[in-house]
Amino acid sequence: MLKTSFREKVRSQIADTSLQAALDANTERRVRARINAWASLPDWQERRQRTHAVRAEIIAHLDEYLEKFIARVQGNGIQVHPASNAAEAVRLVLEIAKNSSTQAPGEPLLFAKAKSMVSEEIELNHALEAAGHQVFETDLGEFIVQLRGERPAHIITPAVHLRRQQVGQLFHEKLGSPYTDDVRVLTDTARARLRQVFFSADVGLSGVNFGVVETGSLVIVSNEGNARMCASLPPVHIALMGLERMLPNLDDLALCLSLLPRSAAGQKLSVYTQLIQRPEGGQQKHLILLDNGRFRLRNSPLKEALYCIRCGSCLNVCPVFREIGGHGYLGADGSSAPYSGPIGSVISPGLLGDHFSQLAQASTLCGACKQACPVDIDLPKLLLRVRAGGYSGLSNNQAVSQTSPPQPFFLTTGLKAYSRMATHPGLFKFAQKLAGLLSLPLPGFIPLPAATGWGFSRDLPKPAASPFRERYRLSQPAQVPDIYPAGQMEPALPEPAASRPEKPGFEQVPAEKIESFSRELAAVGGFVYVVGAAELAGRLSGFLRERSIEHIQMWAGIPGLEWDDLVDFDPVPGFQPQAQAGITGALAGIAETGTLVLPAGGDHQPLSASLLPAIHIAVLPASRLLTSLEQVMRLPQVASAPATVLITGPSRTADIEMTLTIGVHGPKELHVFLVDDEAIK
Amino acid sequence: MEIVQLFITCLVDTFYPETGQAIVDILSRLGQQVEFPADQTCCGQPAFNAGLRANARPLAEHTIKVFEATRGAIIIPSGSCAVMLKEGYPELFAGDSFWLPRARALAERTHEFTEYLVDMLGVTDLGARWDGPLAYHASCHPNRHLGLNRQPQALLAAVQGATLVPLNEAEECCGFGGVFSVKHPELSTELLKRKIANLQASTAPTLVVTEAGCRMNIAGGLSKQKMPQHVVHIAEVLNSR
Repeated sequence: MLKTSFREKVRSQIADTSLQAALDANTERRVRARINAWASLPDWQERRQRTHAVRAEIIAHLDEYLEKFIARVQGNGIQVHPASNAAEAVRLVLEIAKNSSTQAPGEPLLFAKAKSMVSEEIELNHALEAAGHQVFETDLGEFIVQLRGERPAHIITPAVHLRRQQVGQLFHEKLGSPYTDDVRVLTDTARARLRQVFFSADVGLSGVNFGVVETGSLVIVSNEGNARMCASLPPVHIALMGLERMLPNLDDLALCLSLLPRSAAGQKLSVYTQLIQRPEGGQQKHLILLDNGRFRLRNSPLKEALYCIRCGSCLNVCPVFREIGGHGYLGADGSSAPYSGPIGSVISPGLLGDHFSQLAQASTLCGACKQACPVDIDLPKLLLRVRAGGYSGLSNNQAVSQTSPPQPFFLTTGLKAYSRMATHPGLFKFAQKLAGLLSLPLPGFIPLPAATGWGFSRDLPKPAASPFRERYRLSQPAQVPDIYPAGQMEPALPEPAASRPEKPGFEQVPAEKIESFSRELAAVGGFVYVVGAAELAGRLSGFLRERSIEHIQMWAGIPGLEWDDLVDFDPVPGFQPQAQAGITGALAGIAETGTLVLPAGGDHQPLSASLLPAIHIAVLPASRLLTSLEQVMRLPQVASAPATVLITGPSRTADIEMTLTIGVHGPKELHVFLVDDEAIK
Repeated sequence: MEIVQLFITCLVDTFYPETGQAIVDILSRLGQQVEFPADQTCCGQPAFNAGLRANARPLAEHTIKVFEATRGAIIIPSGSCAVMLKEGYPELFAGDSFWLPRARALAERTHEFTEYLVDMLGVTDLGARWDGPLAYHASCHPNRHLGLNRQPQALLAAVQGATLVPLNEAEECCGFGGVFSVKHPELSTELLKRKIANLQASTAPTLVVTEAGCRMNIAGGLSKQKMPQHVVHIAEVLNSR
């Protein structure tokens, strides 16, 4: 029997009108954003297939890739800790924190935590708090749900279920700030509160979106800037990664990055894409690689679920998710599934146990999830396999299982009886005729009690008195002779698929690159000023003066800029709390997406200048504009620097009611002085 | 004359014989010699979708045997049953070297009705007439699993006298989902309510579908809500004159 708790939860979620409004808004905006973003890639369909192949390759040779990846990451100076299950991962976090802490033994530690679905999977916060430590979720949406004592309701948008008034009330009660439903003010409240956390935390925790085998890079994408702070500010950084989230090389990373942010949030690139290679400045870095059932899943019929890159698209398009949200997905024991939606209904039972297999019943198999998946995972097929049961521990792709999951009694019995009957055509015909005759006196639609399920909202059309087969038989004057004319039937060929235009291979001329870069950056809220090389220093000083800026953090060795040029503004290379603006150079720019590429350059060129001050100003020679992300990934500095960050706009969030808010933890403004050195030639 | 086999499916057979009749008429007019293997029953989809694969398998074997004895294309007026034959059977018989090739051979011959008309026979204008507005619901299995959306739309566009009115969220699921409708009636109902509200907003008195399951669900919901709109299978529109 289906446990009532899930059904009850479904009913209460449906009855929650504010949740319903929030979920409708999520569906409408996210789906539209994704479709528009995909449309900006002429070859997206082909990219999906390539991404599928890349992920399949990793999963097929998981052991070999894992071995190489671990060796590479360790060679880079990051300590790697494999964890076979949740308990082991939690124990490792506690041990690392304890051993590396400068606090007196037994003192509670402060953890600053960026978003990580793995941490939800292993229930890390609960364990850390039980051990007496304090954990702050720093992603705005996660911060909100943590204050409410909830799990995230969506992979990408944790507070998707809440309205702004609820957040206002929550902040008023928990943080003591005056009540407001102004999203801008609420975001600033969180920014101010969490700034203190970033600077005083003993340990920074983060997830990992991709691990690149070839270079040992840990790739983390985020929009708010909190993941960059958690990874770089505390003396210890612990990254949590599902061991299946590897990619062979940086070309594959460029491919996946072209689809992940588009699918997740309709962005061409997330605001921040970090590639972390080595620890810097005395910081310790640790990577916990979690199995927790992944190897078992790999050897089961649910293997394809491991191709997932956690974009959340399948949640956004799912008509069932739209009704119940992430919190509606309950296991048979009443526990809430860490992964929800279509993919969650496969991996929650696949990784965490059979008590979540009932989630796979909550699907119409409509296929919207498969259609929206950037990796083209056949989710309906996997949901059917979960329903068939027997997936855990199977060593080959056994489609027919011996064990079946629990079903409502009347359904199972009814379906079995029907199936048995239908294998006997005579019996089938008899039953069909009988049903038709018995329904003769009934109206065209038969009302059924709600308890039947069908009758809950529908009448049943009555069976025809004379089924099709009978009509057909009577309409045939004589049986067609059982002799076929000689010669095979030649099926007509299906029309060929329309050929897709080739992606133009031409190189953009610089003027077009400048125009594209400026347009794309403006679209994400950044500003671009094209200046001649000779006027750079004057224009920069003018800008700083106009904004009444007195203290700046500034990189040494920015091309075209002397240290003395801005000496009036108290320039310091390292971060100082009074710095109002950070001035950096950039290794390259990406014209297609309006992105800056900044490798960490030690004490003279620290990445903090692009993160901590409220205004980030970058100086970029136009000659360093490249067209695409693929080209950037081939620059040797990207993987040789201790860390490289790709910046696409000022920090942003849409965690409260999907309202786009510029300026969260990272800079609130991004200004790029594009030095037109090419135009002079 | 091409010989084709009609796999009528249990729902059309039992509840909507008029759909079957329309298909026979249409195919016959297009020069197809329609045969109906009398021992066909159900493809096994209900049990398969409920996870009862051991119960679905005998029906799959039965269906394969019935149609192996025939020749020509197999025409199905239901995308989900076509998906069952094309994807479900190979899944059921994975690793079975006796049945898998036979399942694959069957899948090769299988065509959803509108796909057969447009892609195999190359016709869209069937000389049909229909008076009044029509709304079209893109049933999930044909639309998403088989990629058939253009085909039914092209067929409807050629119907004389009919105006296709836009249906908001036409590609969203109606909430049927087979066993889902009985197992999760509350969820199913929410989806159905939205579909009916969109139909009402479209002002069309008639909704066209390509799946008997969607028809049972939406028509059953309209009846329960005592609403005047009705639901037809596309074959009936295409056969009207």
